[in-house]
This record gives sequence, C-alpha cells and structure tokens, in this order.
Amino acid sequence: MSRKPYHREVSKTTWFLKQSRYQHYMLHEISSVFVAIYVGVLIVGLFRLAQGPEAWSGWLAAVTSPIGVIFHILVFIFSIIHTTSWFKAVPQAMRIQRGEEIVPGNLIIGAHYGVWAVVSVVVLLVAGVA
Amino acid sequence: MKVVNTDIVIIGAGGAGLRAAIAVAEADPTLNIALVSKVYPMRSHTCAAEGGAAGVVKESDSLDYHFNDTVSGGDWLTDQDAVELFVNEIPKELTQLEHWGCPWSREDTGKVAVRPFGGMKIMRTWYAADKTGFHMLHTLFQTSLKYSSIRRFDEFYTTDLMIDDGVCRGCTAIEMRSGEMTLFLGKTVIICSGGAGRIFPFTTNGAIKTGDGMAMAYRAGVPLKDMEFVQYHPTGLPGSGILLTEGCRGEGGLLVNKDGYRYLQDYDLGPPDPWPRLKAMELGPRDRLSQAFYHEQKKGRTIPSKWGDVVHLDMRHLGEKKINERLPLVRDLSRSYVGADPVTDLVPVRPVVHYMMGGIHTDINAATPMSGLYAAGECACVSINGANRLGSNSLGELLVFGARAGRHAVEYVKTVGTLEGDARIEKQAGDAESRIKSLFKRTGGKQRVAALRRDMNMTLEEGCGIYRDENSLIDTCTRIADVRARYRDVRLEDKSNVYNTDLYQTLELGAMIEVAQTVAISALQRKESRGAHQRLDFTARDDENYLKHTMAFYNPNGDPRIDYADVTITKSQPAARVYGGAAA
Amino acid sequence: MSERQIELEVLRYRPEMDDKPFFQTYSVPCQEEWVVLDALNYVKDEMDRTLSYRWSCHMFVCGSCGMAINGEPKLACKAFLRDYQTKIRIEPLSNFPIERDLVIVQDDFIEKLESVKPYIIPKQEKPIDQGEYLQTPAQLKAYKQYSMCINCLLCYSACPQYALEEKFIGPAALALAHRYNMDSRDVGRSAREHVVASHDGIWACSFVGACSQVCPKDVDPAGAIQQVKFTSAVDYLTSFLPGGKR
Repeated sequence: MSRKPYHREVSKTTWFLKQSRYQHYMLHEISSVFVAIYVGVLIVGLFRLAQGPEAWSGWLAAVTSPIGVIFHILVFIFSIIHTTSWFKAVPQAMRIQRGEEIVPGNLIIGAHYGVWAVVSVVVLLVAGVA
Repeated sequence: MKVVNTDIVIIGAGGAGLRAAIAVAEADPTLNIALVSKVYPMRSHTCAAEGGAAGVVKESDSLDYHFNDTVSGGDWLTDQDAVELFVNEIPKELTQLEHWGCPWSREDTGKVAVRPFGGMKIMRTWYAADKTGFHMLHTLFQTSLKYSSIRRFDEFYTTDLMIDDGVCRGCTAIEMRSGEMTLFLGKTVIICSGGAGRIFPFTTNGAIKTGDGMAMAYRAGVPLKDMEFVQYHPTGLPGSGILLTEGCRGEGGLLVNKDGYRYLQDYDLGPPDPWPRLKAMELGPRDRLSQAFYHEQKKGRTIPSKWGDVVHLDMRHLGEKKINERLPLVRDLSRSYVGADPVTDLVPVRPVVHYMMGGIHTDINAATPMSGLYAAGECACVSINGANRLGSNSLGELLVFGARAGRHAVEYVKTVGTLEGDARIEKQAGDAESRIKSLFKRTGGKQRVAALRRDMNMTLEEGCGIYRDENSLIDTCTRIADVRARYRDVRLEDKSNVYNTDLYQTLELGAMIEVAQTVAISALQRKESRGAHQRLDFTARDDENYLKHTMAFYNPNGDPRIDYADVTITKSQPAARVYGGAAA
Repeated sequence: MSERQIELEVLRYRPEMDDKPFFQTYSVPCQEEWVVLDALNYVKDEMDRTLSYRWSCHMFVCGSCGMAINGEPKLACKAFLRDYQTKIRIEPLSNFPIERDLVIVQDDFIEKLESVKPYIIPKQEKPIDQGEYLQTPAQLKAYKQYSMCINCLLCYSACPQYALEEKFIGPAALALAHRYNMDSRDVGRSAREHVVASHDGIWACSFVGACSQVCPKDVDPAGAIQQVKFTSAVDYLTSFLPGGKR
C-alpha cells in the first residue's frame, strides 16, 4: 500500500490566532463575557437597593469610583463590539423573502440600529437623563 | 490485482453515466452497478453546460418541429429514426429531472420556462439560469445517492476494456490514490466518458475531456463515427476559451463587428430585426455563425485584441436585472476573465472548439456493434447531431440515451445468463497492468508529454479548424502520424504510485492522439462541405457520394481504416438548409 | 501581453518519498492575465512533471481546484495573478489530510454529503405523464441560493469548527440539506432531521461565518445553518405543546 495521507494538526488552543476572521470571531465571543459581567453587576445593584439606602449608596460609590468608570468604559466598548458584530450577521440568520425578492441585508441591519436607537432613547427618558 | 465483481460497469459519472446508473437501478434493483470515473461525479464536464436542454412542452410547439430543426440543423446527416425517438422521449426525461429536483427556471404560473436557442423554430429550451448543466449534474448525482445498488468508484482511471470472445465483460482501472490496478468484471459495460475537445488547443472543454472512452472502444475494434464533425461554438472568451452560452443570444444578445455592424446579415441569416427572430441572425446554427466569423476575419472586419481577433457580443440593452437573473455566470466570467461587464461593456468573443458530433458508433438503443458494450453521451454517436449539433440538444441526448443505455444493458444482462471465461479476462487484465508497468520501467524515453500534446493541438488547429482543405489536411494527417509514432517513446517522469498525474496525463495523451487521428483522416476523406465540416476545395454538399456516416476503424500500425455507413432517412428528404427570413 | 516572473512556493508532499510536507519554490514566467491555475499548469508542463493537483473546467464550476493561496481558501482558476504580489504561497486546503502535493483526501466530505439525504423526498410520487410540479419563481427563489454549491470544499477548509471537531457535518452538506428542506416539492425535512439537527449537525456550528466569506458561489452556508437552527428550535419548542410530537 503506497498511500500515506498526511494529517496536519490543528492546535486546540491557538487556532484562532491563525486568521484575522477567527480573531474577529473570538473578539465577538469574548465581548459577551463583558456583557455578562455587567449584567451581574446590575443584579448586584438591584440586590443592594433592596437591602436599603446604605447598601445602595455603597454600590453607587463603587460603580462611580475611578475603577468603576474604567470598568464601564470597557464594558461599553465591548457592548458596542458585541452589538455591531451581531447586527452585521443578522441578515444571514434572518432571511426575509417578499415575493421573488430577498429583503436586502442592509435594510434589516438598518432596522436593527433603528430599534436600538429608539430603545436607547426610551431608556434614557425613563431614567430621566434626557 | 484487486477484482470487483459486478453486473454492469459504467465508465464515466457525468450526466450520461449517472442517468444510466439510475436507469439500471430502477429497472432492476438486484443488479450491481460499478460506476467508475476518473473524477468525482460533480467534477464531470456536464457541469459546464450553461444554456439549457431542448424539449417540446409548450402548446405552440410540436415534436415534428423539433425533429425538423434537428435534422436540418445536422445537415441531414442525422439518423432520423434516432431523432424521432429523441424528440419524443426528451420531454419526459426533462420532466423526470424536474421531479428529481432540478431547479428549472419558471414562469409566473409555476410551469417551467423556455428560452430561444440557435437553429430552433420555437422557444423550447428548458434552462436553470445559465447553469443548466451544473444543476442537471448535481441533481442526477444527488438523486443517484438514493440507490444502494450504485457503487461508486471515484477517481479510478480506466485503461482497457476487457473483451472475451468478442463480448465486452468489464474493464481495468487504476485507483488513482493508490496506483493499484483494479479489474471490474461484469456482464456488460456502458461507456459515458464524454468528448475529446482537449485535442484542440483552444476549447471550452475542461482538462478531463480527453476522449479516453472513445479511444478505448476504438482500440477494441468499435468504429468511431463521423469524427470529422467538430463543433465550434461562436461565442467563447478569447484567451481562455471559456464558454459564453448561446443563451446570451437567446435572451437577445447581438453579435457585431469592428464597425458595430451586425455582420451575420451578410451570410444568409438576415434580416437584422431588432428583436430576436428565431432561426435567424444571432439565433442561427453554430456552424454558420462560426463560419461567418472566419469570413469577417478574412475581410479584416474583426477587432484585433491582445488575445487575437474577436467580434463583440452586445448584451447591454438587456439590462442589469435580466442579466443577473438569466446570465449570472456569464457576467461573472466576462468580468473576471476579460474585464468586460455585459451590463455596460461589449464582450469580446470568438469561435472555440466545443463539442464532438462524432463518437463511438451506436444504434438507437445505445448499443455498439460489440456485444455487451454500450455508449451514451458525447462519447457516443447515435447519431442525432449529424454534421452540426443544435445548441441544447446535448443535455437532452445524455438523458435520453443514458437512460436507454441503462435499460437496454439490463435487458442484455438478463439474456446472457452465466458467462464463462473469467480466467481469460484475468489474464487480459494482467496484460493491461503490464503495459502500464512498462511505462514505469522504460528508461531513456525522449518524448515529453507537454511537447507532444502541444504539437498535436497546434496541428489540429491549423489543419482541422472551421475551414479545411486537401493540403492542410494531408499535412495534418502526416504530422499526427508523426506525433503518434513519437508517443511510443514518451517519457514518464514521475514513477510514483500515489495520485500520479504525470501518468494519467500520459495515458490521456495516448487516447487523444488516437482520437485526433480519426478526426484528421475522416476529414481528409470527406470531400464535400456539410455542417461543421467545411472544405475550401469542395464547397458544396455532395449527397450523392457523402450522405453517409464515416466509420473509422483502428489500425495499430497505421492510419485508421475508413468505411462508410448509410444514413437512416425516414420522413425528411435532404434539402437546402434555410435560415434567416426565408425560414419563416 | 506583458509577462511577470512569479515565485510560487508550493507545498509538496510525496508520500512514497517524504515523511512530511515541504515547500518547493518555482520561478514561473507568467502572463499578466493568468490565474494561479495557469501558473501551476506551466510548472507541470515545463518545469516539474511530478507536481500533482486537481483541476478541470477552469471556469469556477467543477469545484476541483480548491487550494489555500497565501493561506486563503480559493479556487485556483478564480485567483487572478493581478491580485497578488510576486511571491505566492500555495498549499492544499487545510482541515483535510494531504494525499499528495495539493491533492487532499475528501472521503469524509462525500460521506457527510450522502448522510443528509440530498434529494427530493416527495409527498407521493407523481407520474411523469402528469407533467412537472408547479413551482413559482418565488418558491424557486426560496432555495435557489443553496443549490449553487459546487462542492469545492473551500468552506470546510475555512471552518475552525470542522478543524477541531471532525465529526461536524459541515457547511456545504448542511446548506444542501437546507436547500432540499426549502424546496416546495420536498417533504423530507423530518427524514433529514436526525442528522442535520443533531449535536454534530447544525448545533456544532458556532457561527464563525468564515464558510460564507470564502464561498466562491455566494451560497452562504452559515446563513443556511442559522436558519435551520431557528426552525429546529421552533420544532423542539412546539413539540411540548398539545398535539406536539413529544
């Protein structure tokens, strides 16, 4: 038997370093960790609020401390990354056909940004910021 | 040597081979099928067919119309019993393919849509955008996966037919990834190995179209029929030879020369209506259009380009929407390969070798003169194409005659019972293996494959092109004979076993040289002009002497022996071929 | 026509001689409008008969000549030299065993293709003499994109999930299953489900999306897989409702 197929090994730990599109994918995946942590922080805040004014102001002081602010900026950046990379992929998962036409991807992405903007404004209004 | 015992061996897994395999599996599921191909089925060249497949389906059409178009399109060299059967069966075959999932383009009502094609009196070409062959091939391949009796042997290069006492029983093939010789031993063989466009340097045909099956049958004593008829497609991309479908013109594309003039009106194809008139101008038959290019070139009215002389295909008026919907591949190919976007630019085109009308001689049941051997598809010549095939008849042909080959092979297998002589065949297989081994053992071979191939290519291009004459043909025959002699001293440079493409190219070249020789000799001996065979020294059709099929028989040591066979004429007597306004 | 000297660095592997692959450089005089495949053909004809690779149609439709060109999965017939620098690195498609030189072993893909039952499973057979099934242009459009796959395997080569988990059915085969699921003539979705909607099927896809980015025919297998995930999830949830299958 002359055959001797050669198998190239793929590293289970560093494969994503090989291509920029894999790195983008990893960035997208990692960004979700920050979103998750922030959800945790908010839940803790809610918990603190239930415990009374002192607990609440302690939490408030923590999140507005310099470290808290840096943390918020980081989370904000990763949330943006997470959201935009998801929105970019939406037309693939959400293919809408009307008659013989496929609704253009940009329209679907645009609609998502639109809804995002509206929800953000509503949240800010409710929060009394705007 | 590995031995695969089976009932029916099919060589080639393109459109015809797959259709034959399915026909066998449906006719008798107990029969074992070995489907042997030198490529994976979906790589077969059927995938490159673009425009469509003709079949009568619309109210305004009739089987007689399709019959008449095909017979006159073939310049009366077609066998009319075969054509009648073909036009009758093709609508059923196309419908069958629809049931199997082929994504035919549709009308708003949901019925299949048809488009006009060259030389056809009525629009009757079923199409799947401009990837019809691709979709047909993949539909057939995927459908074939349903049948457990079809056992595929992908990437096995077939070397020889196994013949015992005049009966074809199987073949030997090399498993390309191991280099191991395998004997496929059965009761009957169907060859569906495709054409041989690669004998020419400038062709739409893929690298695999090297006439292996034609040469194999020919060496085994089966005649090759009408080999002088080689179709030039009028619209290939210059440089690469990539096909731009006749569908471009079916949808309304125009051919213009350097003055922007629709020159086809000067060649009995007018009037130059602004709308597509069927059987006229750009919708004339391929032979006439390619010949018109030759004359325009002689008159100095073609356009010089870096790839040689061209004319322009103008599709700009079709608009982006229609081009994207009907001709997406054409747009992709034109933009990529010649930098011309059909939506905004004129696309340079020129005639390019496309199809072999000739092939392994078969009857209307796809049976060759040798017991147990069938052939279908481009490798075969039934003949429904005669001296010039109409566009969109070849995809139909591979379905109709692929299926017939399968069904008749099943009938044949039922009649033969148990066959003796396996030991003799194993010895034959051993001889076939020794011949391959001798290539490996040979030392000091002086002839390089690439050089021999180039010599063969250029010789045919120069002597067996759109127009031929006595002197150029004699010269071609001499030079091909020389190439054939030199091939005996060919040098195999790669002596390894695993996926040795040097070996397969060497064997393919051997097949191509045999086929090329039949083309040249058959052309030399046909002293008339008919369809795609145009002689500058015999410009008229000569029904008295040449309303006959050329039969080329193998001669191991010299030129093929040429004989002739009668053409079957049933209801259409030879007449003048009329196109343009006069055909209305 | 202008000529350009190109350095082709080709990964060679001759199993009968080599223990592992190595790069061999060929300096090739190329025409400006050539594709990488033309350059390889030049090497094969004029420089080195032992170099092996697959090719046929030279027009982006047979799917034979997939290879990694400067690390990117490409059809060699669609990789124009005008888009490359003087040095071009050519390797066999990644994620597949190398049979020899640029020729990969593709048995695994063929088996997976077969496993998804890629053919019409009709509600009931319709006799041929009753003509075609009606299918409107809109119904055709619903699956047409997913029927364009030429099985060139660029998507498998780009897919990190397939690289890490070889049992993954993979992009092209799953897109093909989706093609038949979406065909108005087909009712075979449930027959395909146990392969398609399994752990090694759509759920092994983490939506990296590389498959769709490298697809030379814009099939968008990644999109197809996400759409199947959606319908399968809906199937799963509705199975708990009264009258559901569970």
